[in-house]
Amino acid sequence: MSAKLEIRNLVKRFGGLVATNDVSFTVEPGQSIGLIGPNGAGKTTIFSQIMGEHQQSSGDILIDENEISRLSTPQRILAGVSRTYQVPRPFSDMSVAENIRVGLTPDSIWQMITRGPNPDRELELAESVGLAEEQLARLPSELSMGDLRKLEMARTLATAPRMMLLDEVFAGLTVNEIAVISKLVQSMRDDGMTFLIVSHDLKALEPLVDEAIAINQGQLIAEGSYSDVMADKAVRASYLGAE
Amino acid sequence: MGLRWHHFALWGLFAVTLFVLPEFVSRGTLRTLIFANFLAIFAISWDTLSGRTGYISFGHPFLIGIGAYTTAILTKRFDVAMEISIPIAVIATMVGGLIVLLPALRIKGSYFALVTLAMMELIYQLVQVIRPDLTGGTRGMSGLPTLTRGAVNGYYMSVSLMLAIALTTWLVMRTRLGTALSAIGMNEEAVSGSGLSVTKLKMAAFLFSAFIAGLGGAVYIHYLGSIAPRALFDINFVFTIIVAALIGGAGTTVGPIAGAFFLTFLLEYLRPYLPGAERYMVYSGLALILYMAQPKGMWELFFQGIAKFDRLGRRE
Repeated sequence: MSAKLEIRNLVKRFGGLVATNDVSFTVEPGQSIGLIGPNGAGKTTIFSQIMGEHQQSSGDILIDENEISRLSTPQRILAGVSRTYQVPRPFSDMSVAENIRVGLTPDSIWQMITRGPNPDRELELAESVGLAEEQLARLPSELSMGDLRKLEMARTLATAPRMMLLDEVFAGLTVNEIAVISKLVQSMRDDGMTFLIVSHDLKALEPLVDEAIAINQGQLIAEGSYSDVMADKAVRASYLGAE
Repeated sequence: MGLRWHHFALWGLFAVTLFVLPEFVSRGTLRTLIFANFLAIFAISWDTLSGRTGYISFGHPFLIGIGAYTTAILTKRFDVAMEISIPIAVIATMVGGLIVLLPALRIKGSYFALVTLAMMELIYQLVQVIRPDLTGGTRGMSGLPTLTRGAVNGYYMSVSLMLAIALTTWLVMRTRLGTALSAIGMNEEAVSGSGLSVTKLKMAAFLFSAFIAGLGGAVYIHYLGSIAPRALFDINFVFTIIVAALIGGAGTTVGPIAGAFFLTFLLEYLRPYLPGAERYMVYSGLALILYMAQPKGMWELFFQGIAKFDRLGRRE
């Protein structure tokens, strides 16, 4: 089942800086939206607010019509929304399998003790993102950037999300790795996953999204079809640096 | 948990070795071994909190002291039986564990370490000035009831307790709880981003650590029959616990035990040559060299040695 995300009049202030300025948009179930904007536009700050890592100054965040602003990050994940990070955050001294295991772990101390790990599910998740069985025992330091992104996707998928927020998912990847990750996102889209994707690689982003939203200096400046947004004057001026 | 028969065989071998030791060593060595067992308990407790979650505590005697003083006061001043006072002491220490948890919800790193150090200093000052008629003030208390008589019985009690705590900790840390606690030490935000409540996990670690510290502290003073605040809240004692866990192998269960035994015997064998505090300089130097050689501790060095031996064997 896919999740619906609604952002209403979201505002985030860091002292005198307005990082998110009255932003509203909706991502329908199963839809994939590209969130674009220049560096420092406030894209990641929106992700952090959706996940509860930063509390918004005002505004509402709803998943499936339910307000989630008061929920902690793990509770939001339980509600069905998960994210990846610009810089992958693996558990450095743990194997690939153990990294995925953390994502599969139930948020109950009792169940953590009484329920053993599920190696079959760990392998299934690893393979679903394109990691090989022999990589399960490896440490993150032994993985390429592409494989680290795959590992992060696997750990995120382990939390059973219905909506994924992908932050700069193509950053630091080779052309081949971008193709692999794109294929993975496409197949998850086919399975009905809702996506909000941030990427500076517009060429790689285009085939993955139904629509796009552009923000600049915390404000929403354009939304609609990908081509319309890219053709928007304000977007070109701010994001592409052209009049 | 991935348990194999050889895990239990090794634990069995370790236990049998420790249990037959009194047949082969002198009473003096046995007393050193008793202290090593208690130090191992305290190092396991410290490691559960700090080695796993990365919240370095410089004030672990705060927890040990709550356990020790609770049972000492109850037995000495109120004639409560040890069977009752020790469980109460453990519960009181777990409440103390929650007090240590409070700063850990807001601060980490060196700030947390300093707060825990302040906690230890606070309890040290408090037991001296608040109701010295109960705590014994600066002189502490003597004539406390003891659980055992003689070195051999004391040894068996301490080794049984240490093994029970070590095995329980080892089993718990092999579950997904252990994996999640270690993950906190590596990247707390990513644990939260994996859908796990970091506060809940930290509370579990702090309570478990306090349980061990309280039990160890309470039984320790009922082995000694006395309690001395100056020794209990001595900064050297804190560092001995931390260094035992670190050079043995933080984040493991066997590492702190190995470190505790190594340090205790090192300090004991240095005593005839360096009777004063200079001994601590030698052991800190040695600890530093060991730590620089392998930050993951002696336990990792042991595994590296086995791997090297294995490679050599295959080559031949």
